[in-house]
Amino acid sequence: MKLHEKILTHYLSCTSPVDKEGYLNKKKNRNDTYHRRWFVLKANLLFYQERPADRHLLGVIVLEGCAVQHSETDGHFTFSLVFGPGLKTYRFAAVDRQGQESWVKALHSASHCYLSMLVKDLARQYEEAKQQQSLGESHPSVSALKLPTNSFLFATTQQTAVVREGRSFSASTLLQAPSIPAKAVAKKSPKLWTRRHAHVTPLNGPAPLYGEWPLVGFDPLEDFSTLHDYYGQEVKKVREDWLKSRQKEEDHTEQDLIDLG
Amino acid sequence: MRFNEKELVLLSRQPSERAAELGMRGPKKGDVVKKRLVKLVVNFLFYFRTDEEEPIGALLLEQCRVEREDSQTFSIAFLDEAERKYVFECDTEEQCAEWIDSIIKASYEFMRKNLIYYRTEIHRLTGKDPLEQYGISDEARFQVSNGRPLPTVPFLVAL
Repeated sequence: MKLHEKILTHYLSCTSPVDKEGYLNKKKNRNDTYHRRWFVLKANLLFYQERPADRHLLGVIVLEGCAVQHSETDGHFTFSLVFGPGLKTYRFAAVDRQGQESWVKALHSASHCYLSMLVKDLARQYEEAKQQQSLGESHPSVSALKLPTNSFLFATTQQTAVVREGRSFSASTLLQAPSIPAKAVAKKSPKLWTRRHAHVTPLNGPAPLYGEWPLVGFDPLEDFSTLHDYYGQEVKKVREDWLKSRQKEEDHTEQDLIDLG
Repeated sequence: MRFNEKELVLLSRQPSERAAELGMRGPKKGDVVKKRLVKLVVNFLFYFRTDEEEPIGALLLEQCRVEREDSQTFSIAFLDEAERKYVFECDTEEQCAEWIDSIIKASYEFMRKNLIYYRTEIHRLTGKDPLEQYGISDEARFQVSNGRPLPTVPFLVAL
C-alpha cells in the first residue's frame, strides 16, 4: 500500500502545533539495541529522524489501534506502543522518569479515535451547560452526566493473570455510527468488519491509568476468539512442556527400579 | 520512509462512516478517472481497487483543501498546490456534499479546534475545566494556541 509521504512530510513541516518532540531511544527489534532518534508527535502521527535538523525522515508511526504501556526494565525508563497480536510492538526508552511519563501521557491521548470521543463528550457537556445556563441554575453540574439512551457500558473484567502487562479493556459502548449504505456493504470489498464496539472511557468514573486505555478496534466479542487463540498459545506451550516432563518421568518409571535381570 | 504498513492496512479495514465506489482521478496530467472504492477512516482516505482487500493507497487528510468542482464532483488539493488535485466523481449531488462534509470534519486539526472551543466555552459557562476529569488538562495538544482569544468559528458544526 502506498502511503503518500509528501503529504505527511508537508503536514509535519507546516505551522500546525507540534504536540511533543524530543529524543528517545528506540529499540531495534532484531538485535536488542537502542538507537537514539528525534521524535516529533503531531496529531496521531509519530515521526522520527536521526536529528532535529535532518531533512530526511526515517519513519512514521500511525497511532491508531495501539495501547501505550510503560514498564521498568533494568532501570531503564521504557515504554511501548502495542498494536496487538500479530502486529508490531515499538519499544522506547526515555532518559528519565519524567521523560517516560510525559511521553506515555502524550501518546496515550494522541489517537484520532480518542480525540473524536473526547470532542463528542465535550459537545454534549457544552449543550448541557448551555441549557443549565438558560435555566438560570446557580450550580450547573458538569459531572455525573447521563449517557445517551442508546448506548450502554460493558463492565469488562480485567484480563486474567496471563496478561500482566497492564493491558486491560475498559468499559465500552456502542458507537452511534450512521449505517454504511447497503450498496457499499453488500457486494463490495474490502471486507468490512461487522459493526464493532468502540471503546470509550467510563464517563462517570475516573480516567483509566496509563497503559490501561482500551485498544481501539478491539471488539471483545468479535476478537475474543482471536484473543483466546493467542493466549491459548501460551497455555498450549505450558501444556506441551508439562507433557514432555511427564514423558521423562514415565521413561524413568519404565525402567525398572530394581533390575530384575 | 518507514511506516507501520500492516497496522495501517488493518485500520483501512475498520468500519467506516463514509465508504463508496467513486470515480477517482489522480493529480498528474494524463491521469484518467478510475473506479475506486474510497473509504474514509479517521483522518485517512484509503482507496481500493474494487474487490481487493488491501488499499492501493492512503491519503492523509490534513492541510488539504476540499472543493466542489461541480454538482457531483469534488476535489482534494494537497501540498498547497492548488492545481494538483485528486478528483472524485460521485453519483449524486447529495453524496458529493456528504463526502465534502465528512472529509473536512475528519481532519484532526478540525477536531482539535472544536475541542478547544468546547473546552473554553464549558469553562466559561461552568467555571470548570472539562478535561480535568480525564487528567489531560495540561496536555499540549489541548491548549488554546498562543493565548489568542478564540474566534467564533463559523465552520464549527453541531456534532
